[in-house]
Amino acid sequence: MIEFKQVNKTYPNGVTALKNINLSIEQGEFVAIIGLSGAGKSTLIRCINRMHDINDGELNVNGVNVSKLRGKQIRAFRRKVGMIFQSFNLVTRTSVLNNVLISAVPDLAWWRKLLGLFPEQHKVDALEALDKVGILDKAYNRVDQLSGGQQQRVALARTLAQNPDIILADEPVASLDPVTAKVVMDDFKRINKETNMSILLNIHHVELALEYADRVVGIRKGEIVFDGKATDVTQKELDMIYGSPENVPSMDDPEEADV
Amino acid sequence: MNESIQLQLEKAPNRKAYLSTIALILLALLVWSVYGVNLSGFDQRGTQIASNIIRGIINPDLDFLFNLTSAGVPYLLFETMAIAFLGTIFGSFLAIPISFLMSPSVVSAPVAYVTRLIVIFIRTIPSLVYGLMFIRVSGPGPYAGVLTMSLTSIGMISRLYVDVIENLDRGVLEAMTSMGCTTFEKIRYGILPQLFSSFLSTTIYRYDMNLRDASILGLVGAGGIGAPLIFAMNSYRWSEVGSILIGLVVLILIVELFSNRLRSRLVKG
Amino acid sequence: MKLTWYDKVFKPKTYTLSNGKEVKQRASRTPIVLVVVLLVTIISFEVTGVDLSLLRTRGHQFFVILLAMFPPNADFFSSIWGPLFDTIQMSLLGSILGAVLAIPLALLSSSNIIRNVFINGLFKFFLSVLRTLPTIVMALIATFLFGLGTMAGTVAIFLFTLSYIGKLMYEHIENVDMGAFEAHESMGLTKVEAFRYAIVPEILPTYLSVSLYAFEGNIRHASILGYVGAGGVGLLLDERLSWRDYPSVGMVLLTLMLVVFVIERISEYFRMKLT
Ligand SMILES: Nc1ncnc2c1ncn2[C@@H]1O[C@H](COP(=O)(O)OP(=O)(O)OP(=O)(O)O)[C@@H](O)[C@H]1O
Ligand SMILES: [Mg+2]
Repeated sequence: MIEFKQVNKTYPNGVTALKNINLSIEQGEFVAIIGLSGAGKSTLIRCINRMHDINDGELNVNGVNVSKLRGKQIRAFRRKVGMIFQSFNLVTRTSVLNNVLISAVPDLAWWRKLLGLFPEQHKVDALEALDKVGILDKAYNRVDQLSGGQQQRVALARTLAQNPDIILADEPVASLDPVTAKVVMDDFKRINKETNMSILLNIHHVELALEYADRVVGIRKGEIVFDGKATDVTQKELDMIYGSPENVPSMDDPEEADV
Repeated sequence: MNESIQLQLEKAPNRKAYLSTIALILLALLVWSVYGVNLSGFDQRGTQIASNIIRGIINPDLDFLFNLTSAGVPYLLFETMAIAFLGTIFGSFLAIPISFLMSPSVVSAPVAYVTRLIVIFIRTIPSLVYGLMFIRVSGPGPYAGVLTMSLTSIGMISRLYVDVIENLDRGVLEAMTSMGCTTFEKIRYGILPQLFSSFLSTTIYRYDMNLRDASILGLVGAGGIGAPLIFAMNSYRWSEVGSILIGLVVLILIVELFSNRLRSRLVKG
Repeated sequence: MKLTWYDKVFKPKTYTLSNGKEVKQRASRTPIVLVVVLLVTIISFEVTGVDLSLLRTRGHQFFVILLAMFPPNADFFSSIWGPLFDTIQMSLLGSILGAVLAIPLALLSSSNIIRNVFINGLFKFFLSVLRTLPTIVMALIATFLFGLGTMAGTVAIFLFTLSYIGKLMYEHIENVDMGAFEAHESMGLTKVEAFRYAIVPEILPTYLSVSLYAFEGNIRHASILGYVGAGGVGLLLDERLSWRDYPSVGMVLLTLMLVVFVIERISEYFRMKLT
């Protein structure tokens, strides 16, 4: 269970990215977070696994107050929270299997870390994770030889091998074509159903969000302006989250056009 | 365990033997070279000389450093720059035909291979040997230096030019063919603009290196700042050495800064 | 469009489109660049006293020494291989030590690894200055410090390799995509572990390839270090040249070419495999 209580987040440069966030997500929920660029979606997600620190309020994950964690505790905590990125963030010059094996690194002996050797059991676990996302046959290919969709599934397998309680995904399908995006979303859905992992994902594609998520959270300028079932979202709610078209900055905007 | 996973596990490429062999060979080579080099510590006079050198560099001969006549550091540096400049220009012109003869996509593979072989051989002869040969042509002095630089820079410049030629964007040519352009038009508007800026960038890069190498030529009397530097060192005039080194380091740093700027401008267009 | 001083002197050309929009085209910079290059060329001709007609009249003199090298003195080979091995050993040891020490220096210079602008700047500056010093000058200084012989040559090659690989590597490291590093941190790896598994695989092939390339070049560099007494085959070259024993010089050069060729082949083979 993830619980935000009156959370505020201001970046060192003075930008307030989150204002008075109150949010509670039960284990096993599939939540889509939507909102304009710069609304604070990434910030929200990254506070959950302490990639960013919050300024005030309280953030509890599975009963642990995240802000109180220190050094080693943060790392132990992060092992229970998986994260997926828009740009996949894989090590491109090494094999798919090696990427998935990274999830086992903290458990290894120091000499294994130095030489890059993994015990057989970890390899089996990693291959099983690859099998779950359907790219077992690519295990020994180098990552830079894979398509974007396949790379995102490698990232998903890497997270699955970590066996987390929660998966945070920051625009996981934004760099994929519509068909591949659906395939990856299907993977998320299936994993959510089969393993009861909670899934939080940021997404710009509203249709996909409504189709796959059980719950939708709308963020605007750092505040939650909508929180409800995906089936309850209509054009009215979307206007509230995204603002009506005339408020959206356009290319005629002198500031935008200057670049 | 699932059968297909078992299967995949067995397919793992095993490079341990290969990698450990290479590591072993490397280790053997290292041991061999450690035994070969007579690792002497500091000479008895070493520490004394080290402190002299440092003292010389801290207290450079300022008269010499700012002397504007032809015996001062500024003029010597200027001469070195001129040698490197002409050497680079001649070298890069000579490298153009050679690089085309080295490109497998322009000439047939055997011709490219033979040219490459010749260039490797030309490159292997140390510049000092060329310096001696050219002194017979032009007499000692900067002229011999220019000729030497021209020849020694061909090797690397043409190698870099070949990379440019091989990486030409052929899509442009295809597009131009589809627009009905003639061969001449394709070369003039499709190939030359691509080659020109990359070649220029390579040439500027090589100028940097030539400036550094030009200081070697003094050793055989082929002009530049090398001769006074080595002369001063051999006669233990460390404050003069200091002046020359300071001048050289500052000059090369400035030139490097400029050439990096210029090259990034060239890349951006 | 930002106007620079150049645009103020040479006014941009303005085109008016049929719909009334104005498009400005900057005056081409080519003419002024050409003029500058021409000027510098003329000055350089003056300074160096280059006289191309001399090439026509005395050019054949270049080949006098070259032809005198033929046929190479094959008997001389027995005296070559000792110094030749010295040269190879010097380059090998200098290259390996330089390549190893280049790693910490490159890391300290990379702003994405060590987040301290002052430290980065300091080490970058150190590497740049080291790179400006010609190898032969370092070798000469080393002979003063360590006495004549292979030790001096090894030190010179070591310093050169250090600066060369150090600079190339920090440029490469600074361009590595930090995404995987971030992902690994999000999985609970320490910074050191994340570096080991995210950055090392990205830079290792380049590092090995650059090191091989440096070694290749060092063999060639090492062959002249003997001139200042820093050991190796250059000593022999210098001696034979001053005795005008050109057939022996020819033999030395021939052997050197073969060795360099073989080493280049081997190194190229491995570098191809690395990319
Ligand atoms: N590291 C940072 N330092 C300072 N300000 C930041 C930082 N990251 C984000 N911000 C600012 O915080 C606000 C929220 O950014 P955030 O990245 O959370 O938006 P987002 O909703 O994820 O947008 P997008 O859809 O474009 O990814 C923005 O105004 C942004 O400029
Ligand atoms: Mg974002």
